[in-house]
Amino acid sequence: MMTSVATPPMSRYVEKPPRPKRGSGFWAYMTAGVALAIVFIVPIVWSVLRSFQPERLSSSAPQSADFTQMSLTNYSSVSHGTYNILQNLANSLIASIGTAVLAAVIAGLAGYGLAKFKFRGSGIVFSVILVGMMIPFQVILTPLYIELSRLHLINSLLGLVLVYTTYNLPFCVFIMRNSFAAVPNEMMESARVDGAGMFYTLTHVVRPLVVPGLATAAMYAFLMAWTDLLEAMTFIQTNSVLTLPPRLYNITTSTYGALNTSYLASGIVISMIPCVILYLSLQRYYVQGLVSGAVKG
Amino acid sequence: MAVVELVGVRKVYPNGFEAVPRIDLTVGEGELVVLVGPSGCGKTTVLRMVAGLEDISDGEVRIGGKVVNDRDPRARDIAMVFQNYALYPHMTVAQNIGFALKLQKLPKQEIAQKVQDAAHTLGLTQWLERKPAQLSGGQRQRVAMGRAIVRDPAVFLMDEPLSNLDAKLRVQMRSDVMAIQRRVGVATVYVTHDQVEAMTMGDRVAVMKDGVLQQVDKAQVLYDQPANLFVAGFIGSPAMNLYEAELGEGASSARIGSSEVAVADNVRRERPALAGYAGRTVVVGIRPEGLTAIGGRTGDSVLRGRVRLVEALGNEQQAHFTIDAKRVVAEGAGAEDAIDADGVGVARVAPHVKLDAGENITLSVDTTALHFFDPETGNAIWA
Repeated sequence: MMTSVATPPMSRYVEKPPRPKRGSGFWAYMTAGVALAIVFIVPIVWSVLRSFQPERLSSSAPQSADFTQMSLTNYSSVSHGTYNILQNLANSLIASIGTAVLAAVIAGLAGYGLAKFKFRGSGIVFSVILVGMMIPFQVILTPLYIELSRLHLINSLLGLVLVYTTYNLPFCVFIMRNSFAAVPNEMMESARVDGAGMFYTLTHVVRPLVVPGLATAAMYAFLMAWTDLLEAMTFIQTNSVLTLPPRLYNITTSTYGALNTSYLASGIVISMIPCVILYLSLQRYYVQGLVSGAVKG
Repeated sequence: MAVVELVGVRKVYPNGFEAVPRIDLTVGEGELVVLVGPSGCGKTTVLRMVAGLEDISDGEVRIGGKVVNDRDPRARDIAMVFQNYALYPHMTVAQNIGFALKLQKLPKQEIAQKVQDAAHTLGLTQWLERKPAQLSGGQRQRVAMGRAIVRDPAVFLMDEPLSNLDAKLRVQMRSDVMAIQRRVGVATVYVTHDQVEAMTMGDRVAVMKDGVLQQVDKAQVLYDQPANLFVAGFIGSPAMNLYEAELGEGASSARIGSSEVAVADNVRRERPALAGYAGRTVVVGIRPEGLTAIGGRTGDSVLRGRVRLVEALGNEQQAHFTIDAKRVVAEGAGAEDAIDADGVGVARVAPHVKLDAGENITLSVDTTALHFFDPETGNAIWA
């Protein structure tokens, strides 16, 4: 009779996994990707480097790539005097953060209602909201101006925030509705059976699950507000209330005197910083927020 | 005393669909009643009406003697276990189990103690700080049960809690769920589409079809004395073999296709109304274990056919055969879509009997275990 001896289970992990073989298609794909990346990144890197250089080097032809005279002089110059953009930077931050918060709150509540409550006309309401995404801003520019004028909100950051929020809401509601739709109904019913009311369920059970959607909606609204030029130029007429993009535009058009490309470059770099920080801190939510609800989890 | 009573409960959806025409059901103290039926029969709708997650169109739901039709779920003293567990993914196991207690504003120490006790009962103590995503399916199911137990409710409502588990785990969890229910002694309504689960778990089993209760009784009674064709075809795996048959004089024999089968005295005694069907067509039911393969031997009350397929299960074989009889399919019991279904049947055969597809088979019928049904109403023929 044969006796069998129990042997310890073998590990299923190997020390050195074999390297996958790469064909010519892979290398062609990588080369094209790297080349495209360089094409997109080089202007940004160039602007950043030039922002630390004096005007005569900053505006020189690309072939005279001299990166020796680097200093913070330009950044110092744009913080006071004719080219002071600090107030405009603050205005942009106020308008963008205000838009992000307001859009996220309203879109969150709207998305919750549209995704989780059955009511007559909900489909129509959602369709109308989506149609709003397709209307170009230029079409509603004049009526909006008249409306804001009557409300005494021209030349006001509050008026600007309301305009930005309204215009960006359709996409934010779309994101939030999909985010809430991905939350299983049983989870909310379970909370209801456990004794939670509607608001408690929203804030303690559902909200943590839709953070990616909220982050995406807020980030989208922030970026749209931060980079906007047309609305700001239309509804703001005073320099002290202007946001950063129209201010930089005015610098470009020599509104304040001869164009200084090094100051412009430093202004552009300053305007990029919040966007980069925001994206880097919220990027893990961004894709999640866009695709939530796409696949049954 | 009945803990849960459904009296004339009806459910009609806004689009006019009548999901549950009428249901009357009681669940006693500590009793586990299983609601079983095919998908779409209304069993989950009934459960949700008891929970308060669906409005009731008519009738009354009483819990602990009080009518709860207009009460919110949290005011009904119930706890529910959902099919997909419905755990809160951003909370730990301890937080999930203690969620309802926190809403009741109990002191933190009391909550912690109750959570510990529930975790100990369910073998979850070492997982209390984990999140649901870090648990296996069986562990998640136990957390869902823990969330229900810790509330000490009057009624447990369970909506197919084991259907997301693999077969082996399901068998293990079945006994765990039963043990827990027995230990806490709470009246339980358990919904499932799996008749094996229903038979093994329920103190009583309520079979539903198209929103109507077909039969409510102990599992063995449903198996031995099905009230109609649907229950006969639904309960038991493999399903009961049902054929058209012509009853002989005095109902002493039944002709199934070309075979003559005797009807035993005990059957005629238990079903006195059978005599009234003499000379008429009835439906005869034979459980797979009521057929014995007798090889080439001859005998009385045999069915002769051909083997279609043999399924070896280790402890037995299930021989699928065809005979020259008209098979009867109970609507909704799940066999309507079978290809080439006429005259087919299943017999349980001992594991080492040699059987091959395509060969002839002779099956001796246990004439003391025949079932008879009215072909028009589908009801079992008794008194």
